Amino acid sequence: MRRAPTWPRHAIMLAVCLLMLVPFYWVIKTSLTGENIYAWPPSIIPVNPHLFNYVDVWYLIPFPRYLLNSVIVTIMAISGNLLFNTAAGYALTKQFPGKRWIVLLLLSCMLIPFQATIIPAYLITSWLGVLNSWLGIALPMLSTIICIFIFKASFEAVPRSLIDAARVDGLSEWRIVVRILLPLSKPAIATNVILNFIWSWNAFLWPLIVVRSPDMQTLPLGLARFLSVMEDTTGALFAFVVMVLVPGLTIFLMAQKEFIRGLTSGATKG
Amino acid sequence: MAGIRLSGVRKSFGDVAVVHGVDLDITDREFVVFVGPSGCGKSTLLRMIAGLEDITGGEIAIDGRVVNELDPKDRDVAMVFQDYALYPHMTVFENMAFSLRYRGVARAEIRQRVEQAARVLDIGHLSQRMPRQLSGGQRQRVAMGRAIVRDPKVFLFDEPLSNLDAKLRVQMRTEIKLLRERVATTTIYVTHDQTEAMTLADRIVILNHGRIEQIGTPEEVYETPATVFVAGFIGTPPMNLLPVKLGGSGQITLGDRTITLPESRTRVIAGMPDVLLGIRPEHLIWHTGGEPPLLSGHAVVVEPLGSDTLVSLDIAGTPVIARLPPRLVRKAGEAVLLAADPENLHFFDRTTGRRL
Repeated sequence: MRRAPTWPRHAIMLAVCLLMLVPFYWVIKTSLTGENIYAWPPSIIPVNPHLFNYVDVWYLIPFPRYLLNSVIVTIMAISGNLLFNTAAGYALTKQFPGKRWIVLLLLSCMLIPFQATIIPAYLITSWLGVLNSWLGIALPMLSTIICIFIFKASFEAVPRSLIDAARVDGLSEWRIVVRILLPLSKPAIATNVILNFIWSWNAFLWPLIVVRSPDMQTLPLGLARFLSVMEDTTGALFAFVVMVLVPGLTIFLMAQKEFIRGLTSGATKG
Repeated sequence: MAGIRLSGVRKSFGDVAVVHGVDLDITDREFVVFVGPSGCGKSTLLRMIAGLEDITGGEIAIDGRVVNELDPKDRDVAMVFQDYALYPHMTVFENMAFSLRYRGVARAEIRQRVEQAARVLDIGHLSQRMPRQLSGGQRQRVAMGRAIVRDPKVFLFDEPLSNLDAKLRVQMRTEIKLLRERVATTTIYVTHDQTEAMTLADRIVILNHGRIEQIGTPEEVYETPATVFVAGFIGTPPMNLLPVKLGGSGQITLGDRTITLPESRTRVIAGMPDVLLGIRPEHLIWHTGGEPPLLSGHAVVVEPLGSDTLVSLDIAGTPVIARLPPRLVRKAGEAVLLAADPENLHFFDRTTGRRL
């Protein structure tokens, strides 16, 4: 039987990919030129590209400070997630009284929108005295239920005999997690890192509530502030957007293979 | 080096009891094989000795010390698992050195011990490979090497050859036997393969439904099985078991045939209402005249194996297999007359299953 040619399929996929990339291209092009985005006909090729918009963003607003805040908060959120989700995920691979109820509780908590938890979260943060601090911004993002289950699924996929062998070899429970389970759960770690990076990096509502001084603002808050204080900002605004996007894209591109494996682990027979 | 003592060891999962009060003494440097069908509790018993399963009742002592409450790491045992359980993210060397690192052994000594074990097992050239780059046999050797470097008091093997193909299994069996001579350590080996049990063991422990059916040397369990279960489990093909009726003056009735046995053989069954006669396939011989044959029938299935032929018969509704010299019976339907030395007959109480 003659096989159908594959090029039409590839052509369609290529066209869809290009279509998805157009907004990114448009943002980068505008950030390099500052031209009016409503101009007609639109220019496909950047006219007189320059990097002044990026320089403006760096010097006209406290971009480095926003970046530092975002980086620290994101590192705290990712570290917290890796620590707490690993521990919780490992605990859920064990049998213990009430496990079923805890799983149900966790699953039901996933149904509650974040906005509904803002007031109690704010009160707890305030009670802990960490409002307007990096820890306060990161606090509600230190553990995410979906990521607990990603670790749980990943740990359950590790053969039980490996854990038994480690136990006979003399490892404590914590060392079994660190030395055996985590190195075999790279996709789950990558998924945790990427998802929590995205959620923490892009978080707007919670930092808006908890941050009181401009020097504690993160990049999304800085972007909003930038819009309110600058005029004729098309080019600089888009340069700002690019500078916010680049770290996330870089991390995703670095870990995308493990990320996809993490999201699909258990979906197929391995 | 150490002996192991199990006293009334029990294990239950919820309401389901899987090991019912096992008592066993294993002497220093002894090689004991736990054998039995799937679900008989042999692996559970092994895991309890390793400390990987809690003990519901009883006592386990290694080298005279009760270890019921000790963690696996504190029992000084090394275990080889059915699926080898090599850490996939570590090289062969790292796998073998792993446990030593956690026991505070000096780096130079780790290297020396790993290299020595690798030499014994002929895997020195594999030290920098990852487990995924090894064949089944090589992985098995590494798993054994990981156990050897520890120089533990006890080796525990949990069906280590069951994932290998038939040819490799025979080869590895021989290697384990050779290894045993070089590394004389108390060993418990779990298998469902009676050939492994027979070839490797100093003593075999035959388990069924969480109870010990018999403990003995390979010869003892083969030649004098203590129960009907052991008789049917040990030996390939298994022992033929035929219901017989007792008559007066040393006579037994087998189907429509009555045979007179010497008084020495019938003494043990005198007065027993329900008896099973057991006879191994190789103890059934071609009848050449003289005394009346023990069994007569027609061949139902003939399986030539080259060195000998397995002939299946139907004796009064009970299947019987005889291992006969080649070419005596060529095809199904041929008449077969079989005799046996009365000394090779076994008798079991049909009610209790115990040997008489």
